[in-house]
Amino acid sequence: MKLTNFLKDRLTAYLIYGISWVLVLIFMAAFRISFQAIIIVSLILLLAVIAAEVWGYIRKKSYYDKLLYCLNELDKKHLLSEMVESPDFLDGRILYEVLQDTNKSMCENIADYRRKNREFREYIELWVHEIKLPVASLQLMCHNDGNTKYAEQLKKIDDYIENVLYYARSGNAEKDYIIKPILLKRSFSDIAIKNREELQERNITLHTDNLDLNVMTDGKWLGFILGQLMGNSMKYEATEITVMAENLPDKTVLHFRDNGCGIPENDLPYIFEKSFTGENGRTHRKSTGMGLYIVKKLCDKLGHSVSVQSVRGEFTEIIITFGKNDIYDVR
Amino acid sequence: MKKIMIIEDETTLRDELFLLLQNAGYEPIRVTDYNNVSEQMKAANVDLILLDINLPNINGEILLQDFRKQSDTPVIMLTSRTNEIDEVLSMSYGADDYITKPYNPTILLLRISAVLKRSAKVGATQKYHDVEVSTVKGSLIRNGSEQILTKNEMIILQLMLDRQGEIVTRDELMTALWDNDEFVNDNALSVNISRLRGKLAELGLSEAIETRKKQGYVLK
Repeated sequence: MKLTNFLKDRLTAYLIYGISWVLVLIFMAAFRISFQAIIIVSLILLLAVIAAEVWGYIRKKSYYDKLLYCLNELDKKHLLSEMVESPDFLDGRILYEVLQDTNKSMCENIADYRRKNREFREYIELWVHEIKLPVASLQLMCHNDGNTKYAEQLKKIDDYIENVLYYARSGNAEKDYIIKPILLKRSFSDIAIKNREELQERNITLHTDNLDLNVMTDGKWLGFILGQLMGNSMKYEATEITVMAENLPDKTVLHFRDNGCGIPENDLPYIFEKSFTGENGRTHRKSTGMGLYIVKKLCDKLGHSVSVQSVRGEFTEIIITFGKNDIYDVR
Repeated sequence: MKKIMIIEDETTLRDELFLLLQNAGYEPIRVTDYNNVSEQMKAANVDLILLDINLPNINGEILLQDFRKQSDTPVIMLTSRTNEIDEVLSMSYGADDYITKPYNPTILLLRISAVLKRSAKVGATQKYHDVEVSTVKGSLIRNGSEQILTKNEMIILQLMLDRQGEIVTRDELMTALWDNDEFVNDNALSVNISRLRGKLAELGLSEAIETRKKQGYVLK
């Protein structure tokens, strides 16, 4: 709290003091009180006003400065009301109580939304598990009847279902993953087999190198991430996919590279953003702009970093870095 | 014939699984009464159990934990739940494999045969007529002459040997190779098969692998 601001705020009071002082002067002059007496009375009044104002200023300044300091230092500003104490002056107390009440109301509101969000997510999970049963049945039927025509469409349905599931999971604060050593080779080959028909239909050659490494991650989530990357490679006209890992002292780096159409330089900074489809999205098969967004969110949650390099018409490379330290920055 | 018990409450899925296993040459048994699954599991004398996690009244993981106290019969968990927690839990309770729905039927069959082979403790060498097939060394020996097979050729021969006399489709061979991290394409598969034929011919078995047009191959 600045002194000038305080003085400005008190301006009306000072005006009233000033007017009363002038009135007092007039009265005292009318009653012919001696000049010295007038000076003394004026000084006493002035000192009294100054003393009262200084006291008031210090009292408020110390409280509000602390309040503002807390506000600045807090990274979650809404926790302010938990940090400050009730002051000993009236307007401060009123502010304090208002702060407490609004905070309480906001907490209730958030809890309500959080509950609704959780319920919705639980429903999505349940629904995904249920819809997978008929898909599984249909897949077996296709196989038993020797009909491969429908299998491709079923695979697509399953991919879209997975998308929904992981989108729901990625936005959630709850921890529903397990971080344990996962063999990159295993995870990649699971995804490769899943996409084998389409890969072969599109004549895509897979190259792997140095995937005999363990990384600390959640196996299912990593599978989904690799599946998304592979889906993109297939979508964007790749004929070769090269997956290789580098084992560095403090991290393991996975390179997922294809020789597809590449990403225009202007679009590169935005590809992990929600609903961003860019030029490739407009010119190619329908793109939702969700795949890489979910990939990024999952990586963030697991504490991996993900980045991209691409040259238009030459290659696209997604780089995922897995940490090796024991303590994870898990959000 | 290997007996396989199917514990899956979704009827359509159960029936299709039944058909799949029957076509693959197994003897499947369906569980239809879900009130005393635990007792049925223990009473059944089967070679392998396919167990769903979401069952009426009971959780498959708990069933498995209970079952393991008494029996070592291999169990493969089938589930539509796709999270790592369930998988870790199932494996720690003693499941032999964990497959999520919807599954690729060929892979399911491969995994079943892998688990069965592991539990039957098939030795390092198998016999094909008078040829000694050593999976460990990756070699074929007949009358003292030896042929070394590559990893791919061994995988192909192994699958055909397991299904000797039956048609093995190219699709199945391809899946088996990919399942072993060998991401070969169509041409490479043809090359591998012709090389394998060549090596068998060197041992005097030139007609061992027969091509069935548009269907696959048969190991005689």
